[in-house]
Amino acid sequence: MSVESNLDPFRQEVRQWMESSVDSGWRSAMINTEQETFVAAQKDWFSKLVSAGYATPHWPQGWPGGGRSLVEQKVIFEEVARADAPRLILYFVALYHAACTLLECGSAQQQARYLPGILQGEIWCQGFSEPNAGSDLASVRTRAELRGDRYVINGQKTWSTMAQYADRCLLLARTDKGERPQAGLTYMLLDMRAKGVTVRPISQITGDDEFAEIFFDDVEVPVEERVGEQGAGWAVAQATLASERGLTLVELSQRMRYSLPMIVRQMRSSECFGDVAIRRDLGRLISRVDAACALADRYLLKRISGDEGPGDASIVKLYYARTLREFTDLGKRVAGLQGQYNTGFMRGATQETGNWTVDFMNSYNWSIAGGSDEIQRNIIAERMLGMPREPRSWQFKEWS
Amino acid sequence: MDSQLTQLCDSARQVVDGLGLAADEESSWALMAELGWFMVSAAEELGGLGLGIAGACALHQELGRSLSRVPFLPQMLAIEAVSRSPLAQQDEWLPSMLSGERVVTAALGESSFHLEKNTDGGFRLNGLVQAVPSADSASYLIVESAQHNCVALVGSAQPGMTLIARPTWDVTRRLFDIQADDVVLEKNLVLVEGDASQILIQQLAVLRDFALAADAVGASQALLKLTVEYLQTRVQFGRPLALFQALKHRCADLKALTDGADSLLQDNLAAVLDTHGEVVLTVETEMKARATKQLACSAFATVAEESLQLHGGIGMTSEHECHLFLKRALLNEHLGRSQESYDLGLADLFIASTQ
Repeated sequence: MSVESNLDPFRQEVRQWMESSVDSGWRSAMINTEQETFVAAQKDWFSKLVSAGYATPHWPQGWPGGGRSLVEQKVIFEEVARADAPRLILYFVALYHAACTLLECGSAQQQARYLPGILQGEIWCQGFSEPNAGSDLASVRTRAELRGDRYVINGQKTWSTMAQYADRCLLLARTDKGERPQAGLTYMLLDMRAKGVTVRPISQITGDDEFAEIFFDDVEVPVEERVGEQGAGWAVAQATLASERGLTLVELSQRMRYSLPMIVRQMRSSECFGDVAIRRDLGRLISRVDAACALADRYLLKRISGDEGPGDASIVKLYYARTLREFTDLGKRVAGLQGQYNTGFMRGATQETGNWTVDFMNSYNWSIAGGSDEIQRNIIAERMLGMPREPRSWQFKEWS
Repeated sequence: MDSQLTQLCDSARQVVDGLGLAADEESSWALMAELGWFMVSAAEELGGLGLGIAGACALHQELGRSLSRVPFLPQMLAIEAVSRSPLAQQDEWLPSMLSGERVVTAALGESSFHLEKNTDGGFRLNGLVQAVPSADSASYLIVESAQHNCVALVGSAQPGMTLIARPTWDVTRRLFDIQADDVVLEKNLVLVEGDASQILIQQLAVLRDFALAADAVGASQALLKLTVEYLQTRVQFGRPLALFQALKHRCADLKALTDGADSLLQDNLAAVLDTHGEVVLTVETEMKARATKQLACSAFATVAEESLQLHGGIGMTSEHECHLFLKRALLNEHLGRSQESYDLGLADLFIASTQ
């Protein structure tokens, strides 16, 4: 494959690097493999990206690879999609959530202590969601009790990506019962090997176990591991969640566009190649996928020019999630009965693997995680369209 | 969007808001002529503003917001066709079209026009075209035949031309069928012949698709705004309807659909232009134009169908504007090609491009 010469030099550099560095066999190596194999492959890919400087373009100047503009970061994500490189699932929290939180809200000591470790491959997980605090994140119940110079943590977190492999955890815990639920939260950095931490992987409907539950039983966290003030955890958590806004969806929507030919190839090899209904739906899907890409692109351009408005990110995510569902649904229909045979799955793969029933099931990741479609709709309706919020107070009443 | 275009959009929005929804065709045309809107896309050396298809679409979008009755689209297609012919050099043609003095129309539906070459090299026209907007106020009609490698102008009152009014549910358009029986084309009004005509025909289709998409996007945006405003003011069960999550979520979905169509329109418009703002004709361009039209018109139809439901009983009354949007949306889906043929055509082009 040759690299076009009319590209801007940075894109050309990244493209060339991707072409020579992405192992084209990575997908087949991940089919029905053990999770350890996947973890090893992620570590390998991560260290390649770090040494090329493409893992940390969003870090400040002075860090290896750091100091890249948002425009250049976008280029990297686009080229990752174009090269069909593996997604850095194992390191995403470390590179974005942990690093950006530390850089924005962490102390100088915390930065000096943890950022180099991330570059060396320390794995971080997120301890935000709980069984009773999913979409409603502010109702976190895991307790952090200050005793002398340490917090004592008790409670449970869930939906933590790859927590079973994590070295450290970004923890959001309750230190006070504030007037508003957001008020009494405190943010801290927790060592996953500390005494009293138990991790239990969650078995998913696809057979994979990318997420885990974390249990805390009198786990001690030194006070100097707190990020921000006590009670200021909600604001710090917002910084965490805002860290990668837009870039991931640029990558994912472009991956979806690059994957459209997979459906066509599947059509060619099946009886439905001449089926008018399938063709019509393919025609509709093509423009939907293009629109998802255009939305993600426009959103990032708005961020670059500082014009981001409330709700803009929600539109992109909602549109992507709906389109991905349609995409994988069409793949599943084209695959027919054979698509229902359980032939296993590709571990840690992207959203479009060609194993369409698994891909279809996985598409729920995007309509549920990171603020469900329903939450996004609330945000769009209330913050973009100016429709009123529902009244806050509500009480259970006995049916009479 | 460059600053000239942004300025045009802003002033167009004010004018369109001033005219109101579905304003009178004749006075709107006169005002648009006065404002120089017909000059928007033609090259500067031909007396236009040189804003190309992007400029035209910006106006289509604004006009869509107000459900304009003006046959702006066929006039723009005609200007494009004449600009690319030897007639562009003759004083009597282009200037009068750019000023809005001369009204020329074009078919937005199926055509069974058939051209026959006479022994003297001229053409005779037979057959029928559908969905010709405001044909009775136009002095000429653009005739195109890919089969016969020809794009020409024909006088709408020439012997053998019959106009048949086809009142549609959409009252913001006045459509006609035109039947031609042995109509002799004037030789100097044959705009383009041969291979060049194929290119022009494709170019006109691309313009038409983007224009219809822009119309649909503008109308969707205006209708969604209208619907949300209605839900804010209508009170039932002691609260504004806008408070009900069941309704809010539907509005949010419509907002996402509308924004998706708008983004695709702007993105694809930018993608099909070269550095001079000219459309580059490739299969890719054709696909982008079709995808944009298909997505925007189906999004508009969804917004219009949902909006009527969200308005409840008042949406079923003729005094409310809701039905005007719905009917325009339903018609838009059939202009250009049929929606089905957009879907299938896109799939076929894509399949052909995939190994």
